[in-house]
Amino acid sequence: MHELSLARDLLGAIERKLYPGDARVVRVNVGIGSATGIMSESLRFAFRVICEGTRIGGAELCVTTIAARSRCGNCGILFEFDGMIGRCPACGRFSGELLCGDEMILRTIEVADV
Amino acid sequence: MCDTCGCGSPSVRTIDVDERLLALNTAMAEHNRAHLAERKILAVNLMGTPGAGKTALLETTIVKWRAYRRILVIEGDQATDRDSARIAAAGATACQVETGLGCHLDAHQIHDALHHLDPREGDLLFIENVGNLVCPALFDLGERLRVVVTSPTEGADKPLKYPPMFRAAHVVVLNKCDLLPHVPFNLDEWTAYVREINSHARIIKTTALSGDGVGEWLAEIDNLRRSLLVGISV
Repeated sequence: MHELSLARDLLGAIERKLYPGDARVVRVNVGIGSATGIMSESLRFAFRVICEGTRIGGAELCVTTIAARSRCGNCGILFEFDGMIGRCPACGRFSGELLCGDEMILRTIEVADV
Repeated sequence: MCDTCGCGSPSVRTIDVDERLLALNTAMAEHNRAHLAERKILAVNLMGTPGAGKTALLETTIVKWRAYRRILVIEGDQATDRDSARIAAAGATACQVETGLGCHLDAHQIHDALHHLDPREGDLLFIENVGNLVCPALFDLGERLRVVVTSPTEGADKPLKYPPMFRAAHVVVLNKCDLLPHVPFNLDEWTAYVREINSHARIIKTTALSGDGVGEWLAEIDNLRRSLLVGISV
């Protein structure tokens, strides 16, 4: 995957939400779909490196996983799965239409005034 | 205030965002898409394994249409301009993008190439991505149609092994079908795997070198091109 470029995008998105007076970011909460293939550890590492020297430097990146959901193309039932591809629990086939789990969401930014 | 993590400090404020990250690439891809739609240009992103026959399929396409249709090709490769030389020899205008260490084309490279090619209304634009079944699937270029080109020598299980690539495709081309009698490739098994990953994609079987099955491929592209020209959404 391309965690370094995603970290760069994340840094840009955070900067756009901050006010000039926001001194320091202490924590950033993101949700990542399990079907994105994004590796949390790699993203955290890239984020740490890329934020160095900015007011986001040293901030903790908290990642929660968003379960992927699919509608089976064969029997039509909805099911959740972990990873990039899911097997329908009813008929045993691999996933049909992916409904969610391919997203990355910036949830909250925690800012300290000093 | 807690000495360990700073919790309970009145000086910590939470900004609620809850935004899906529109990555820089996605924003640029949307820009490309709007620009192409405005000029009624059909853009096709050709992805697939190195050696599956993406360039050969393009050469055959160009030879069939060059007399009455303007075709532009953006060629992505890690190194060399060999493919754009082949495209130019077949009779289309090519723009080579050497990605260097990059394993895929991104929307910014397409944006720059579009400015260089300066397409006209009704032109047909093919983007031949870097041969790779992983990374190109994750980068929207602003195309209208995503195509995966694959071949029997790769084995029947590739749709299961590289699901994002096959999931993202509108059309899956199985090229080099003349090899089917000679290689241990179970066509029914492969078709079932494609269908499990992607129930909607059109499957087209071709042999680009001989031209077998290419008619179906040309019809697919041409129907979409016509609908764009008359403003029908499909």
